[in-house]
Amino acid sequence: MSGGYRQQPGASGGTTRKDGKRVAGKQAFPPPGSGGSRPKMSTRDLDFIPESVGGKEPQPAGSHIHDRVRTGTSVGKEMPLVDSNAKVTGQAWYGDDVRLPNEVIGKILRSPHHYAKIKSIDTSRVEALPGVLAVATGADSPHRFGVLPVTKDEHAMAVEKVRHVGDLVACVAAIDEATALEALNLFDVEWEVLEPVFDPKKGLEDADEPIHWRGKYHLAKTNVQKRVFQEFGDRSLVEKPHAASHGKWNMAGVHHGFTEPHAVVAHWDPNGRLQLYTPQQVPHYTHRALSTVLEVPMHQINVIRTFVGGGFGGKSDPFPHEMCAAILSRKSGRPVRITFDREEVYWINRGRHPSHIEVKMTADEDARISGFDIDALIDGGGFASFGHVTSYYNGVLATAPYELGSFHYTGARVWTNKPASGAMRGHGAVNTRCAVEVGLDEMAETMKVDPIDLRLANLLPPHSRTISGFRITSNGMREALEKVREGSNWDDKFRQLPLGKGIGIGCGFFISGSGLPIHWDPNRFPHATVHMQVDMDGGVTVHTGAADIGQGSTTAVAQVVSEVLALPIEMIHVRSHESDTSPVDLGSYSSRVTFMNANAAIRAALEIREQLLNAAWEILGYHPNNLVLNDRRIYYKHDPAIGVSYLKALHKAQEDKGALIASGAYRSPPMGGVHKGAAAGLAPAYSFSAYVAEVDVDVETGLIKCTNVWAAHDCGKALNPLAVKGQIIGSCHMGLGQVLSEKMVYGRTGHLQNPNLLDYKIPSVYEMPHVEPIIIESCDPEGPFGAKEAGEGPLLPILPAVVNAVYDAIGIRLRDLPLTPDVVFKGIEKALKASEHEDPTDLPSPRLTHGALQPTLVARAQEHKIRDKARQRTEDTSPYVNGVLFGFDPTIPLEDQVEGWRTATEPDPEQLAELGLAGRAWLKKEQRHMEGEN
Amino acid sequence: MVGSEHIEMIPAPENKIWSAEVNGTPVEVLAPSNAVLLDVLRDKVGTLGVKRGCDLGTCGCCTVMVDGAPRLSCLCLAGQVEGASIITVEGLADGAHLAPIQACFAEYGGSQCGFCTPGFLISAQALLNENDTPTDQDIACAIDGNLCRCTGYQQIIESIQGAAAIHRGEVAGPAPASDPHPDPHPEGPDEPNMPPGHAR
Repeated sequence: MSGGYRQQPGASGGTTRKDGKRVAGKQAFPPPGSGGSRPKMSTRDLDFIPESVGGKEPQPAGSHIHDRVRTGTSVGKEMPLVDSNAKVTGQAWYGDDVRLPNEVIGKILRSPHHYAKIKSIDTSRVEALPGVLAVATGADSPHRFGVLPVTKDEHAMAVEKVRHVGDLVACVAAIDEATALEALNLFDVEWEVLEPVFDPKKGLEDADEPIHWRGKYHLAKTNVQKRVFQEFGDRSLVEKPHAASHGKWNMAGVHHGFTEPHAVVAHWDPNGRLQLYTPQQVPHYTHRALSTVLEVPMHQINVIRTFVGGGFGGKSDPFPHEMCAAILSRKSGRPVRITFDREEVYWINRGRHPSHIEVKMTADEDARISGFDIDALIDGGGFASFGHVTSYYNGVLATAPYELGSFHYTGARVWTNKPASGAMRGHGAVNTRCAVEVGLDEMAETMKVDPIDLRLANLLPPHSRTISGFRITSNGMREALEKVREGSNWDDKFRQLPLGKGIGIGCGFFISGSGLPIHWDPNRFPHATVHMQVDMDGGVTVHTGAADIGQGSTTAVAQVVSEVLALPIEMIHVRSHESDTSPVDLGSYSSRVTFMNANAAIRAALEIREQLLNAAWEILGYHPNNLVLNDRRIYYKHDPAIGVSYLKALHKAQEDKGALIASGAYRSPPMGGVHKGAAAGLAPAYSFSAYVAEVDVDVETGLIKCTNVWAAHDCGKALNPLAVKGQIIGSCHMGLGQVLSEKMVYGRTGHLQNPNLLDYKIPSVYEMPHVEPIIIESCDPEGPFGAKEAGEGPLLPILPAVVNAVYDAIGIRLRDLPLTPDVVFKGIEKALKASEHEDPTDLPSPRLTHGALQPTLVARAQEHKIRDKARQRTEDTSPYVNGVLFGFDPTIPLEDQVEGWRTATEPDPEQLAELGLAGRAWLKKEQRHMEGEN
Repeated sequence: MVGSEHIEMIPAPENKIWSAEVNGTPVEVLAPSNAVLLDVLRDKVGTLGVKRGCDLGTCGCCTVMVDGAPRLSCLCLAGQVEGASIITVEGLADGAHLAPIQACFAEYGGSQCGFCTPGFLISAQALLNENDTPTDQDIACAIDGNLCRCTGYQQIIESIQGAAAIHRGEVAGPAPASDPHPDPHPEGPDEPNMPPGHAR
């Protein structure tokens, strides 16, 4: 083999036969490279090999099951994203960059009415326009689809009625954009305008014509899409509170604001297969929806995910324009490209729900949190989208990281005649989290204690169960709080800064991968599957359906494979663009990719590794237990000079079967309770975060400037610290936008007034504070090398941190987001009136003198710190359920210990009168229970 | 855009030959006389690295360098820059050699989803051409017309500072990205570079 491979045919060295025919010669071909540019094998990078297996990497949170396959190759090292060179050279191909030969341009006719019935559509004038190749209307797409199987309520184009301005009515394909735009003017549509609903509060009432009709499950004649009631714990604890907080919040809807507008290219190829190019976070759902809408089996559709120019949840629904492109392409026989302008992006929306949230909380005389009462009314817009899940997340994701005496949640999502809300980074958890964290701050103030100590003394430990039954494994909350307290110099600043300067704390808790795959039974199919193949050249091809939307999931998958096989990362090639070649995957949502796909990839890589070691065993005669795999070489552990190169071992392993193939899968363990909605918010791991923000508030103008953020996030293990820091800083940016400037403005007439990036205020470089990202590694027992999510959780704490900091600066609690200068200024004016000051610069700045409870809290936090450390390192494996802090025995079910311990998913009749705003949905009956009443 | 009456479109403008120097190469394309530079670059010249984000001059994704100065190609008629020298993101690298600014965006995490990256690269390069010792404030000033939704700008500023250091000659520039690796031990090294017993 030393002479290198010789391969036929080749271009060089060929000879010409006597008859003049050219014969391919044997071309000297560089041998299959083992990759990398390092001439010598390097010693193992002990800094990146954990202590428990002989390296130097400290393991304060304990060891991990994957430690034994750590090779020090790439995990934990800062690396550029594997596709970054494509991005910096302009070669990354996004949706609109797909240009197929003979393409035509598609355009969509959109509704000018908020709510109207379509009486007729006449397309004859459109069809007569020269250059128009295909026209389609709702009649071409009778089938419903939707991202959740339980709420399929969308059509490719309006079938019976339009539900918001900008809803799809018809579409047209023409030879160029000008013709297509002109064609849109030629549709003759007869409308019957209906009475629209804009205010979600009105949506709770009966309407003449509800926006959707769910038959016997429809709630009276309201526009309520989903209602939730949950009550856990001992409600008697809240009766005589020592301290309480009560806040009513009004949060505006925000949009993802990704820079790439939606675009899609559809092409029915000559074999009758649909090739659909789309920037999708969740190509598989689109795949399913296409199959339903087009009445074509899934295997006749190839969904090709282009590079995604930002998703943040906004590209995770199957979209009607994707169906339109496919329909137009089928009709015209040519590739159809549809690209949105920015206004259309806002019309399709799926941003964060505008919310009315009310939070009441109480604490007892030991400063234990005896109750959280949350009521969330969320404005879903015209379609269900992910709303079913959002309705739950608004409540259940607020149940941790604190130990609660009781929890009470009522939520409702209503349809209104506005663009549909959906999933956005921090799905459903962001708004209530903000309200809850600000409430804690307020309670700390009434109790005269430090809000960080209040939190530290009420945390759930690692390996515990929340009040709603979530299984918490690793938990870095305490460390995160300690780190930001130290980093920000909190103890010298809090309640001590002058007027206009403030500092605030906020925490976060988020799922790392939804525990329930929406489309199938988790007991039958795994959550994620990864295929892997190693050919003679030594390169490893990894097939996964995980959608890289810029978060670096491809890099994460490549890194874990590189780590296990001890190969340089440039030898790992991740193929994730096409549904034809990648295994079915649920895609990039609920922060599942690192956790689930990397776990599946590790399993596949371990299988390859085993085959390589077995081959080396045959060559060297040493059992795999005594062999070390490191940097393209396998050697005897006690004498590294005895060894075999990676390629030799690979070729030995390939002798019988050619390429090495392996497949790995991940499924989450069985978890959670049995009550209705128990699956919402279940995840194999949870991330935790704590931020401290510093703000300057100009008391004369109400302008807030966030100056510094200390951002600690527990991501289990940072596979790529560079990417994790990028996610943390980026989350701060997005959260700051929501809390300070971003807002979808609907006018009196219900029109969206700012569907562009000029009036929709995304923070620019000037509005960004300095962010100090602090990575906390709690080493999750089930995460890949201990990793958990870092993409969504880091967004949650920035909102309450800023709101609390504003209070610290000016002593005013503001509960209308975003805190634009007019909102702040109104607050200041009100405070001036109340305090009879004239000049805003005379406003008192809040101060804190510790009360009697402070030492109690500090002592309890200290005690819990020791408890948590032992539990984190699994030195203490006793069960711990929410409630132990209140004196319950974790080994006996709480229901058996306390009379009145409730787990309820429907309100008792006597509760009905006192339910909050969203809770009023429970006053209505479903149609099936209303016989004879209509 | 919606109505039952047929509104006559403005008569189609006549097509004219538009010529300029794009990324060092003279180009001549046939384009409508009222065409926007962004459309000409994307649809006629084929430099798809120039991105369309908003069409309103608000996102900066379409920034190109026109005679050395950054300019929003969505707000610029092609006719206005007839004959100019235009550099797009495709023109930054020298063959396989990434420009320092490109290498640094990759290395420091200045690019996540990558859609805004071409615009940032042009804005940053234009700054570095003028000033190789920029302060963070200078950088903020240069990129304040560019929106990035992923990174929060911090790593972008670090990337630009990194590239400035290369421009000043303080740090070695990037190695060519796509050169074949010279690998004298293609099968993996036979001699381990470590003392026996070191490995565990």
